[in-house]
Amino acid sequence: MSLLERFSRGSQDARQHTKQQASKQKTSEQQDTSRLTVDANSRKPLPPRAQPGYYPGYSTLSQQKFWDEATRTVVLQRVHEVPPIRFFSDAEAQLMQAVCERIMPQDDRDDAHKIPILHYIDERLYSGRIDGYRFTDMPPDTEAHRLGLQAIEAIAQKLYGASFITLGQSEQDAVLWTIHECEPPAGEDIWQKMSVQRYWLLLVQDCVDAYYAHPFAWDEVGFGGPAYPRGYMRLQHGKPEPWERPERRYEWAAPPDASSDEYKPVGGGHSQMTPGQEGTH
Amino acid sequence: MADHRFEHQNSDGATDAEAQAAPLLGAFDGAKPDEHMLGPIQVIPYPMRRFGPDDEVDIVIVGVGSAGGVLLQRFAKAGFRVVGFDAGPFWDTERDWVSDEAGSHKLYWNELRITGGADPLAFGANNSGQGVGGGSVHWAGFTPRFHPSDFRIHSEDGVGVDWPISYQDLKPYYELMEVEIPVAGPAYYPWGDPHGYIYGPHPMGGVGDALVRGCTALNIPVSIGGPVAILSGSHADRPHCIYRGFCIQGCKVGAKQSTLVSHVPDAIKHGAEIRANCMVARINMGDDGRVTGVTYFDRNGQLREQRAKIVYVCGYAIETPRLLLNSACAGFEQGLANSSGMVGKFLMAQAGNVILGRFEEPVRMYKAPPAHALTEEFYETDPSRGFARGFAVQTVGPLPIAFAKQMMVAKGAWGWGMRRVMMDYNHWAGFGLLGEILPWEDNCVTLAEETDRYGLRVASITFSLHDNDKKLIEYGKNKVMEIMSAAGAQEVVQESRYAHLIGGARMGNDPASSVVDSFGRSHDIPNLFLCDGSILPTQGSANPGLTIQAVAARSADYLISEREAVLSRARRLTPTTNPPIRYDLSPEGASGRGVPRLKSRTPNTEIGLGGLAVGTKG
Repeated sequence: MSLLERFSRGSQDARQHTKQQASKQKTSEQQDTSRLTVDANSRKPLPPRAQPGYYPGYSTLSQQKFWDEATRTVVLQRVHEVPPIRFFSDAEAQLMQAVCERIMPQDDRDDAHKIPILHYIDERLYSGRIDGYRFTDMPPDTEAHRLGLQAIEAIAQKLYGASFITLGQSEQDAVLWTIHECEPPAGEDIWQKMSVQRYWLLLVQDCVDAYYAHPFAWDEVGFGGPAYPRGYMRLQHGKPEPWERPERRYEWAAPPDASSDEYKPVGGGHSQMTPGQEGTH
Repeated sequence: MADHRFEHQNSDGATDAEAQAAPLLGAFDGAKPDEHMLGPIQVIPYPMRRFGPDDEVDIVIVGVGSAGGVLLQRFAKAGFRVVGFDAGPFWDTERDWVSDEAGSHKLYWNELRITGGADPLAFGANNSGQGVGGGSVHWAGFTPRFHPSDFRIHSEDGVGVDWPISYQDLKPYYELMEVEIPVAGPAYYPWGDPHGYIYGPHPMGGVGDALVRGCTALNIPVSIGGPVAILSGSHADRPHCIYRGFCIQGCKVGAKQSTLVSHVPDAIKHGAEIRANCMVARINMGDDGRVTGVTYFDRNGQLREQRAKIVYVCGYAIETPRLLLNSACAGFEQGLANSSGMVGKFLMAQAGNVILGRFEEPVRMYKAPPAHALTEEFYETDPSRGFARGFAVQTVGPLPIAFAKQMMVAKGAWGWGMRRVMMDYNHWAGFGLLGEILPWEDNCVTLAEETDRYGLRVASITFSLHDNDKKLIEYGKNKVMEIMSAAGAQEVVQESRYAHLIGGARMGNDPASSVVDSFGRSHDIPNLFLCDGSILPTQGSANPGLTIQAVAARSADYLISEREAVLSRARRLTPTTNPPIRYDLSPEGASGRGVPRLKSRTPNTEIGLGGLAVGTKG
């Protein structure tokens, strides 16, 4: 069993702790179809695949012999050596896993190709790695994530009288939207200690940091991946390299119950936005 | 189901076995155990000189980044006994750097800083380096010069402050550094003081094509293929660019300049020592009002002292003020070099909004250097716009993680929306606004109560936009969005952000309102120099890397020409003329080459000099 499979199983184990979830739990083959993305025209569920996205057959990992040794080591370690949970408590890890599954839903991926997110967030917090700064209206990242989970649970209780992890995806999405909108209906004491908007961005960026660092995600979006020492030959007109794949689009829609496939400005566009943090130019 | 075969291939261990097979085009073997490699070819001369624990050296440089790297090389070659300290590693790029976005986190200054104000800045990956080469390791490499008007914005526009020097004082150093870096760009660069470049422009990527298309549709001139600090042809023992797009993750190729590859090898060769992974805790003062050296934590966390006749602080806009403030002592209760109270004040960042456009046809913006085309057509003040100063428009090329974070803000994306827009990653192109934010006294660096892992108080930064800044950003952002639309984008969104850091220990002629003179020598302490982005009084809307290096080369020439006075502790001199330019101190490989000057549009200035205006004698 690969570590990745163990990860996938681990996350399901976590969910089985709740009775309600346990009753819903089925093998991956019999997955609840309400969680699947659907064909945009027929509205029929699309079966989970090894590789969602518009570049079928494209594999960055298949190119690893062209990568330099240092890069190959780092990327393969990321794929094969998923770090253990050491920062979050069991209960927090369960809740955080459920949150990660909504922030970066992967129900269109088969179990062998789900990308571990929780474990990398846990690893960052456990090792105390930060991005080099903290806003004056924020506690340290470690505390922010713990407080955020408490707030998410409080909102779920307030809106639905139930724990977040027992809710269906539409209710879970609704809970998260209240934070995205910067109008959380519960957890006032927590929001005294940290900015709603900055917490939301912290949460989402930690999830995308893990997801888009993974070669499976590169295959999904058609990114070339590590490119030293080979480099690129075709720079213009979006042309693929000989080893890349051209795009083959298909029309899909989010699962009918999910509501995150919609774009709205964070905080309704009313508040001063946190500045972008990545270097660009 | 032809696809299934491939899907299977990337899902099991077969590829690991494949990795063992000999590569067709070859990953390099990597560095040999006894070698320190920079890129695939460049080997650092080892072992490097080591000074003894009780040695007093001539010069200590704190921070071997854009400025510190140039200074270290100049001083070593001029015969000084010089030690450079850096809080981060002395990179062996073949072993330490990766062609991977997440794996490059270690290149940034990730230690805690507290950020506040009405418009707080982001640090870390956004603008702060750690390790030898500093921020130049992860800059995108745009190297435009400042315009002549940048040096006198108070005189011309009644805003900010004038520099104590003019463009003409710095021009020879721009030309010199464009050779040493070297810079690739067009033969005719039309803005500011028009000039050409030593290396030809780079080929264009999809983002540059979009910028040209958009600008051309709106009749806006645009510069293609540079100016960038990226080799378009091989130079000495550095190979040319391979267009892999990982510039801001550290250039494993060695094609993009950092001082690590352009100046540090020559510094080591000439007897400089670099003490990596050493955090300088304070600058020490003697009873005579002169600095005596630095106290630092060595790589094992042991507190040590290094005595020096001269100390250069080159820690950039946050760490330089922080070290001066943390070095407060009897007689200097407000921090060193701070009798004016100006240390930490007038901090600037440039408006760096990223404008993203989705195109029907794929772009694949991860290919080619993110920096490869720009326009400075909006750089100068235009009274009709209703604000002072201006902005540039440049290509950017975010990789997937950076792009996802931009979409998180620009579209509010998360969940399935994030997955969807990311599946379209290859259809997006990015332009960067680079807008001048003016120096304001309330934008500043102070010390927080919190301490870092060494027990040193961390920096607290306050930053707020003022009226002119807001107007400029609003206008500039809309202009860039207009260009993106004109390029054919169907959807245009933007993310607000800031790029670069400038100020915090500014230069000036008046000791009451500035920290150092134009050579970086502190007004208060004759043998304490500052040299990095913190000493620039204003920032223009040009990426500051080239100017920081040019100012450093000028500072080095000053100290070298004044060495007797400074080292002998004679009464300080205040030269009113520029020091002789030491072309002979250029690193090997830059010698004997020049930057073409262009025939001026105004009479009585330089005429074209056949491509060798900077005649180097080496």
